[in-house]
Amino acid sequence: MSRFFHAGSDSETESESSDDGIVDVRPAGISRAVLQFSDDEEETKRVVRSEKDKRFDELKGIIKVLKNHKKIKDMANVLTDFESLTKAFDKARKVVDREGLPRFYIRTLADLEDFVNECWEDKEWRKNISKGNSKGLTTVRQKIKKYNRDFETQLTAYRENPDAGDDDAEEEDESKPAAEESDDEEMAKPVVKKEEKAPKAPKVPTGDDDDSDWGTESSEESSSSEDETPGIGHLTAEYFLKSTTEQEAQRREERKLEKKLKKEEKEGRRKGEEDDDEEGWQKVNSGAPSQAITEKPKLFAKDQEITQEAVVKKLNEIIIMRGKKGTDRSMMIELLQELKTIAEGANLGKPLSVKICFNIMAAIYDYNPNIATCMKSEMWENSTLPTIQELLDTLVECPDIQVSEGISEENEQLDKSPYRIRGCILTMVERLDEEFTKMLQACDAHSTEFVERLKDEQAMCDIITKLESYLETHGTSEEMCRIYLRHIEHLYYKFDPSAFEETPSDQQDKTSQAIMDRMCKFIYAKDNTDRLRTRAMLCHIYHHALHDRWYQARDLMVMSNLQDNIQFSDVSTQILYNRTLVQLGLCGFRQGHIRDAHNALVDIQSSNRAKELLAQGLVPQRQHERSPEQEKIEKRRLLPYHKHINLELLECVYLVSAMLIEIPFMAAHELELRKRLISKNFHHVLKMSERQTLTGPPESMREHVVAASKAMKNGDWKKCRNFIINEKMNAKMIINEELMASLDEPTQIVVMHRTEPTRLQSLALQLSEKVGSLVENNERIMEIKQGNYFFNKSNVIGNKPDQRDNYQNQNQQGWGGRGRQQRNQNRDRGGDRDRDYRGGDRDRDRDRDHRGGDRDQYRNRDQQRY
Amino acid sequence: MASKRGMDSQVEVVQIDGLVVLKMVKHCQEEGAGGTDLVQGVLLGMVVDNRLEITNCFPFPKHSEDEDFDQVSVQYQIEMMRNLRHVNVDHLHVGWYQSSYFGAFINRALLDSQFNYQHSIEESVVLIYDPLRTTQGFLSLRAYRITPEMMKFFKESDFTPENMAKHGINFETILEEIPIVLRNSHLVNALLCELTEKTRKEQKFSSLDLGTSSMLEKNLRQLMECVDEVAMDTNKYLNFQRNNFRQQQSKQQYILKREQENLQRKQRGEPPLPEEDLNKLFKPLPTPQRLDCTLVAGQMDSYCKQICEFASQSLAKLFMAETLHVDQSNSN
Repeated sequence: MSRFFHAGSDSETESESSDDGIVDVRPAGISRAVLQFSDDEEETKRVVRSEKDKRFDELKGIIKVLKNHKKIKDMANVLTDFESLTKAFDKARKVVDREGLPRFYIRTLADLEDFVNECWEDKEWRKNISKGNSKGLTTVRQKIKKYNRDFETQLTAYRENPDAGDDDAEEEDESKPAAEESDDEEMAKPVVKKEEKAPKAPKVPTGDDDDSDWGTESSEESSSSEDETPGIGHLTAEYFLKSTTEQEAQRREERKLEKKLKKEEKEGRRKGEEDDDEEGWQKVNSGAPSQAITEKPKLFAKDQEITQEAVVKKLNEIIIMRGKKGTDRSMMIELLQELKTIAEGANLGKPLSVKICFNIMAAIYDYNPNIATCMKSEMWENSTLPTIQELLDTLVECPDIQVSEGISEENEQLDKSPYRIRGCILTMVERLDEEFTKMLQACDAHSTEFVERLKDEQAMCDIITKLESYLETHGTSEEMCRIYLRHIEHLYYKFDPSAFEETPSDQQDKTSQAIMDRMCKFIYAKDNTDRLRTRAMLCHIYHHALHDRWYQARDLMVMSNLQDNIQFSDVSTQILYNRTLVQLGLCGFRQGHIRDAHNALVDIQSSNRAKELLAQGLVPQRQHERSPEQEKIEKRRLLPYHKHINLELLECVYLVSAMLIEIPFMAAHELELRKRLISKNFHHVLKMSERQTLTGPPESMREHVVAASKAMKNGDWKKCRNFIINEKMNAKMIINEELMASLDEPTQIVVMHRTEPTRLQSLALQLSEKVGSLVENNERIMEIKQGNYFFNKSNVIGNKPDQRDNYQNQNQQGWGGRGRQQRNQNRDRGGDRDRDYRGGDRDRDRDRDHRGGDRDQYRNRDQQRY
Repeated sequence: MASKRGMDSQVEVVQIDGLVVLKMVKHCQEEGAGGTDLVQGVLLGMVVDNRLEITNCFPFPKHSEDEDFDQVSVQYQIEMMRNLRHVNVDHLHVGWYQSSYFGAFINRALLDSQFNYQHSIEESVVLIYDPLRTTQGFLSLRAYRITPEMMKFFKESDFTPENMAKHGINFETILEEIPIVLRNSHLVNALLCELTEKTRKEQKFSSLDLGTSSMLEKNLRQLMECVDEVAMDTNKYLNFQRNNFRQQQSKQQYILKREQENLQRKQRGEPPLPEEDLNKLFKPLPTPQRLDCTLVAGQMDSYCKQICEFASQSLAKLFMAETLHVDQSNSN
């Protein structure tokens, strides 16, 4: 309070903005707590600019556009501008309450009214203009008349002294009057605010508000603002647009005069207020009809007959607002919902409600301006899910409703069968699914919130199944592929315990395996976009692997040739590929295919970035910081927790299989000059433990594996088995000629033979290696010579390994690939690996593609973001 | 006199006096530190029909790092030849000899000097003597000369790939080997016969040594070095290709842009932009020199041949030894 008193002492140095900052905080806090649907965008941007600036800038922007439209007498646009202006003003009400009615706003209103009247008088012109224009003119005329009634006092004041506000204001000019004015304002403020809180509470637009609620409450609101506007009309004169230097001096003169006038005026007013605060409230309350009411829920006049046409017209009206600056998106949803209840109440038939449903969904998807943030859970539960379910149910029930993207707005047929409606239910559901994933991503995986959300997975699956059966009768095969893939993606990672039980024959086609098989095969056969097929195949393999069907999984993997071209696919598919590979490795391990398991896992593990490669979390990078956008993109890519693969299990399996291969290998090739490492990671772990001066009994998984490896190294397989298990190793190795030893049956002795390579032999080996690399270099030169497009070639040559290493993880040995030489080579080019998978342009392209699919839905968003 | 001969009477065979060989071996033994240091000397003789007869030689003085070494050696050679003429020995300069360490002789220095020789004295050859291999039981002595194509090519001293292709130069056509015939006077032959009878048995079989690995090892090492060198050179070439391609691309872009600009200017009626020297803007990259690489390749080739030869001989010896061994055990 001392601040206020301080300010009250007429100190002219107190700058406007500092006051601003302090006052700003409180109402914002309150309102956000109350307004659950408040904008996310608002939240983020608030940090940068004060709300006032933002709101007023918005207003100014609209005014500018309005002016332009006025110039060309485009009445239809003037109307929309006017509407958005009032809307934006409504939004800015909070600021206006605090700062006072901006002068420029009044001026715009006055000008607009004058302009409209002028146009109205000009009968010649009116005759010539287009229908839309004249319609706009009429509407604007009516509206502005009505609207301006609320601002009568200010308008008259303005008209009396039109020049007063006409000046542009630089800060120094402005600070004086501003400070003064804010004094006055501040005196009144505490009182106002207290009262404000109470009426504001019911503004919570939870979706079940009705009109009357809104009406009263907003009228109160507007009144409160009105209350203080006269005195502070000039406060925001800094927003006025044009300024020329010659006028400056004159203006200053004027301003002084004006100030005097104002002071007197204020003095009087304050007295009045102090006398009777209550009365001030009452007066305004009754005097001014609500502003918001003109704006919001007057969907239909009371006596208006609700017909299909009327509803459609209204609907179009609402839709037109979409994407405009300053359109309150949450309000739009409500309006649409309202419209739907009205339409249903009037029994206007299913097609109409389907159409409205589509629009509601679009509005809901529009709601969030930011791709990164997810839908509010309330909205999800209360509007999104039910709407889409209802939509689906209706569509399933009424087979005569034809829904398609291909139907244009004009060709819609809502009144008679067969009904035709524009819209794509598949896109809606796909979008819903994405939204669902986003919500899961946003939750903390260990909170109950996540569990709550995850429960909706079932609902999601139901929706998808329902849509699937709907599309099976109505959709094209392409659409079916899409929905099948959705289904598959909800299915593939779920372990089906019944897979290992005997299923009765009549249930045979109900198992997840059968479903997967059916859907995947459909996609293999019908799909013509490579992406869907690839994804379906990966999911299929994953599913096989998850259920220990090793050979099926492996064969599918080998047949798919994915390891060769996966690097050309988008990032999320690459992630899926990694997941599949890992799952395949785990499966191989369970089935005892140690080498295969190792090969499958080695690339994921060796980079130490398993977490990132599987999109299960971000790993801090050493070389370079991520930019915030990059981080956002990556965060969007992360998988929700329930799809995660246990990383520790992964590492354990990898290390154990590495141990089982590496230790015998080390023993077999002990004497080789150049040590070849099968698994760098394993060696690293081993080395780390050797470096420790004191090794206690193993505790963590890693230590166990290390201890086991040591035991194995010493040939103590029993001890090794105690840590992990495997006794067959030694005999097996002899059979495989890996161990130079012979088994002496009667005495149960293993006789070890050792042959050292002669110097000559080792030299020859070295030479052959060198020659090998030379040949490879030469081949590269040849490739360049043959292909004229060096860079295309070199991209293939140069970048392939990186990408592979980063995201693709080929395991050529296991899957009939190119053999280990190349892999080693890749490893040699280790420098490049640090480059990241997301650095590429492809990511950006992908994002674009991703949005391109349903560009309509995103249009607003894009506009707002750029 | 000899140098005036035309190309038609090319030297087809080199006939070396035993004296020359012995002098070379002696020189090598005494000054070459058992073959590790290189020794060089001058060959004297004359061309008769299509045969180059080398009848005498004398060593170059030992290398010193003095700046005026060349002058001194030239001085020394002239002096030496004059003296030899006084004692009525063949004094015509027909080439030079050099010792080599396991056949490592194909290099730039050799090529340079041989070029100089052949440039001034057309029929000159270089004799390569390999002391190490000689101690293995085989006298290793080869005569080489630069091929005519290579001479032309080398004269231009433009070692770009294009030029090389034009002259059809590759590692096989740098040097050609000329067959060698050793000739001794009858008196010497008679002496040798007498000596053969006097030598003990075991000394005769030094050439049947079965140990192969040290030879092969050394050869492999050298081969490896060469491979490394070639690999490096390959990398260089690869880089060059890449850079070159990039430059070409930007050049194309530039030209295209310029054309468009000119077109626009033309439409606007302005004079076209002046032609600029593209080579100034895009300095052509220096093409990597191929000569060294080719030399290394030639060296590798000779190593390989050497190994092959050695291996076949060794194998023969081994088979022989095996048979002997079996016979012996059978008779036991």
